[in-house]
Amino acid sequence: MEQGTRYIGRSVRSKEAPRHVTGRGRYVDDLALPRMLHACMLRSPYAHARIVAVDATGAAGLPGVKAVITPDEVKRLSRPFKPGRYAAGLRVPIPEYAGAIGKVRYVGEPVAIVAAESRARAEDALELIDVQYDALPAVVTTADAVAPSAPVLYEELGSNVAWQGHVSYGDVDAAFARADRIVRANLKIHRYSSTPLEPFACLAEATPERLTIWCNSQSPDVIYEALSEALGIDAVRVIVPDVGGGFGQKIHLIRKYAVLTALMAVKTGRPVKWIEDRSEHMMAGGHSCEQEFDVEAAVTADGEVLGLTIRDTDDVGGSVSTLTIHFTNKLNNLFNTYKVQHLRLEGRSVLTNKCPVVPNRGIGKPGMCFVWERTMDRVARELGLDPIEVRRRNLVPKEQFPYTTPNGNIHGSGDYQALLDRVLANVGYDEVRRRQQEQREAVARTLSGSRGAPDRARPTTTLLGIGVVIGIEPGGRNAARDMAIFPQSTQMPGAGGVEGATVKIEKNGSVVFTLGSPSCGQSHETTAAQIIADVLGVAPERVSAAGTFDTALSPWGISSSNSGNNFHLYDVGAVHGAAARLRDKVLTLAAHVLKADRESLRIEDGVVYGPAEMTFAELGKIAYGNQALLPPGFEPGLQATYYYSHPHADPLMLPDMQGRVRAQYTFSSAAHAAVVEVDTETGRVRVVRYAIVSDNGTLINPSVVDGQIYGSAAHGISVALGEGFVYDADGQLLTLTLLDYGKSTTLETPRIEVEHYPVPDPFTTLGQKAAGEGAAIPSPAAIASAVEDALAPFGVEVRRLPLSPERVWELINGGDSVGRALSGAPGRT
Amino acid sequence: MKHSIWLTVNGETYEREIDARTLLVHLLREQLGLTGTHVGCVVGECGACSVIVDGALVKSCLMLAVQADGCEVTTIEGLSTPGIPDTPGTLHPIQQAFIDRFALQCGFCTPGFVMAAHALLARHPDPTEEQIRQVLSSNLCMCTGYVQIVEAVKEAAARMRRGQGHRQGHQDELATKHTKDTEGSSTKKHQDQTTLP
Repeated sequence: MEQGTRYIGRSVRSKEAPRHVTGRGRYVDDLALPRMLHACMLRSPYAHARIVAVDATGAAGLPGVKAVITPDEVKRLSRPFKPGRYAAGLRVPIPEYAGAIGKVRYVGEPVAIVAAESRARAEDALELIDVQYDALPAVVTTADAVAPSAPVLYEELGSNVAWQGHVSYGDVDAAFARADRIVRANLKIHRYSSTPLEPFACLAEATPERLTIWCNSQSPDVIYEALSEALGIDAVRVIVPDVGGGFGQKIHLIRKYAVLTALMAVKTGRPVKWIEDRSEHMMAGGHSCEQEFDVEAAVTADGEVLGLTIRDTDDVGGSVSTLTIHFTNKLNNLFNTYKVQHLRLEGRSVLTNKCPVVPNRGIGKPGMCFVWERTMDRVARELGLDPIEVRRRNLVPKEQFPYTTPNGNIHGSGDYQALLDRVLANVGYDEVRRRQQEQREAVARTLSGSRGAPDRARPTTTLLGIGVVIGIEPGGRNAARDMAIFPQSTQMPGAGGVEGATVKIEKNGSVVFTLGSPSCGQSHETTAAQIIADVLGVAPERVSAAGTFDTALSPWGISSSNSGNNFHLYDVGAVHGAAARLRDKVLTLAAHVLKADRESLRIEDGVVYGPAEMTFAELGKIAYGNQALLPPGFEPGLQATYYYSHPHADPLMLPDMQGRVRAQYTFSSAAHAAVVEVDTETGRVRVVRYAIVSDNGTLINPSVVDGQIYGSAAHGISVALGEGFVYDADGQLLTLTLLDYGKSTTLETPRIEVEHYPVPDPFTTLGQKAAGEGAAIPSPAAIASAVEDALAPFGVEVRRLPLSPERVWELINGGDSVGRALSGAPGRT
Repeated sequence: MKHSIWLTVNGETYEREIDARTLLVHLLREQLGLTGTHVGCVVGECGACSVIVDGALVKSCLMLAVQADGCEVTTIEGLSTPGIPDTPGTLHPIQQAFIDRFALQCGFCTPGFVMAAHALLARHPDPTEEQIRQVLSSNLCMCTGYVQIVEAVKEAAARMRRGQGHRQGHQDELATKHTKDTEGSSTKKHQDQTTLP
């Protein structure tokens, strides 16, 4: 009777890979419908302007063009979105339509849409749309945006500070009063994106029955709601085929394009496909938020952090629709791995004439981790302590798990000290320090030997540095989290999480399942098949996904989103529950047919063993075709659906009066060690070692988890080393291509090393914890720490990202004279 | 103005009337239905549209279809015989290694990486990791951090040198081996032996 784990915990071969390696994945752009039209967007060339008039007659008259939709028509034919789930705290309701109405607020904002018989013809037509703009001065930095004389993006708000608020836990003032020292830092993290390789894609068809959209959305719920809200149509079906990467990018702004594409399908009566191009995605697909932190830490002389205050300024770009996501997501890892009890986080969201911000591999959490880990290094430096010892002094000890953070998160399990121990051993910490010391001594010797003849014997220009940091990866979204900053909200956005799965044994004995959420490449089909195989007692080769996500067929709920690390909690729970129900049906039916005691039966490889044997195929034929053999009261068929909610979602599913809330439900953790070489002449940073020790709880498929860790670490490292968006003073985006943007290739990406140190979660179905975006959270901090360590002879502080060669060179040349002499760098006068 | 071209793709000859501005990638995808070649940037930066034209690796978004007139083109679909359920077909060793080594996540960059690896191994049957990283820097992947892609290319090279790649049974050996790696230990370690400078 007992279920084994033949497949859970093994690197069972990928279900998705065979179709992808043969070019048989099915993405939205691979689909075509009869009489399908192709759409293109006309986008704003200005960062800030009034739309005076739009004349589309030239475009509409071009042969092959079927329709043009202008701002007036968007306003006439559609309704604005309701303030979204990411705009908690918006103090004045601001209607936001799918396209720009009256004003544009960032370069690339969609102004009009054209549909034609071919994509090329639609592009031709864009050039014939005559838009008269009245250009307005643009505000590009938060400092400019908050100036009293600044042009205001939304007149309704009266200012560009669109939200201001705070959360506070413990007695922060008392902690500061007790402190031996106050350590201060001003920190900045820049705008970047995860740049999924497949840009946004929509294919819409309006039929008498319903409006159907094939869309590469991570959160079909957002598209479903958006279409209903904007078009007033309830009969909506959202289908998500294979998705070419998401990382958060495809959660929010994609709804604009879904609505505009659908509007075009309704208007023309024909299917309409719209595929975003790369530069469109770079300028208008959504960015992560540029964040600035003023941090003060109250510390004791031996490095214990008693309290922390943070003033966080978030540059949210040219829309109020994601006003507070980068703030509220900091509630998820507000205390990182540390036991400090007193913390105040003040925030303000500032509008600028730049791309709106969206969720993005961690949303705000990389910033929060950066604050903690930079602060730990600063504390160590000011107190003359070892930075790793300072961290150790502040970690939550393993005896305290399950540990409740002061803001209400429950860290189910973990062993943070062990993660640090392992990562130091794996990276050869002492050896790195020894080599670093040798190197510094050699430099000093060369320097003294070359005195008076600096040109002849220039000292070595490469400096070694190591950074060791620790962070957490929260998982499983609680829909009510944002109420913690907006308790006066009259509309609860939902609470906790709900999502289902269906598992079915077909009449031929094969097993198919339907998940309640889409996937963006995280091997959900593989992982789900492993669980079903173990619970049902069948080989994973016999188990397959019925298809990808479809609102008409998938058992979905508020957690049906490829975000928030939802899969490991909700999908795994739902699949496990559905398979267990189905196993129960199998045993009931088999016991009846075999005239055996249920408890005496066992299932292996799709065969029920008892007094005789019955295969799943034999049971299937009975379940679907032979009523005479069914047990009395047995529901025919061999199918089960199970909706999962985390049984441990309370306490604090809803925020209490102190703003405490379960922001997320599971907490993976990892220690990262980065070893870098900094070329002091060019400022170039090379990552020579990157080691991670990760606790993701029970591993269902270790190779899949490895892939998630490698990928998210590589992204965080690339972010730290220079990938990012750059605007000029007029709000024009200068980084429109992946090369300009600076995405790391195989050459810049180090060979990341991973060790698993799993501590199972006591509250989840299999002891699993999140495994997705996790390594993108501490990795920017790890690189910052390592570069600062390398540059220690210069006495410089790394306060901001990215650490592009230019920025590092500036740090070196703004550093103290001893350091400059050491490198032979010229320095500033 | 339309141009008349003919070309051979994956062994089949096609004649088409096309606009001068039609890109090779669009001809392949939209007119020939070969949707395994993907478009990630249309400016030659991401490599998702990589194909082989007359033996050379080409980013098919940087080539006009008329330039492929008279050429022989191989796309991802041409590397293997397609499988049907329960009989996966005959995969190219690179494709098999990408499956076995978990060298893909969303799959969007995968056809391009497989084609780029194909071109690499034709020139360097026994590449070093540095050579692999150098050559594959033509392609971008946002999901994997490249670790498992590089491993897959190494594995494919080894199998091709042994002349074993096309054997289906091989994947099972590998899956078993990987399983054993993880058995019976709470910690699993795969650490590349990188030496410090």
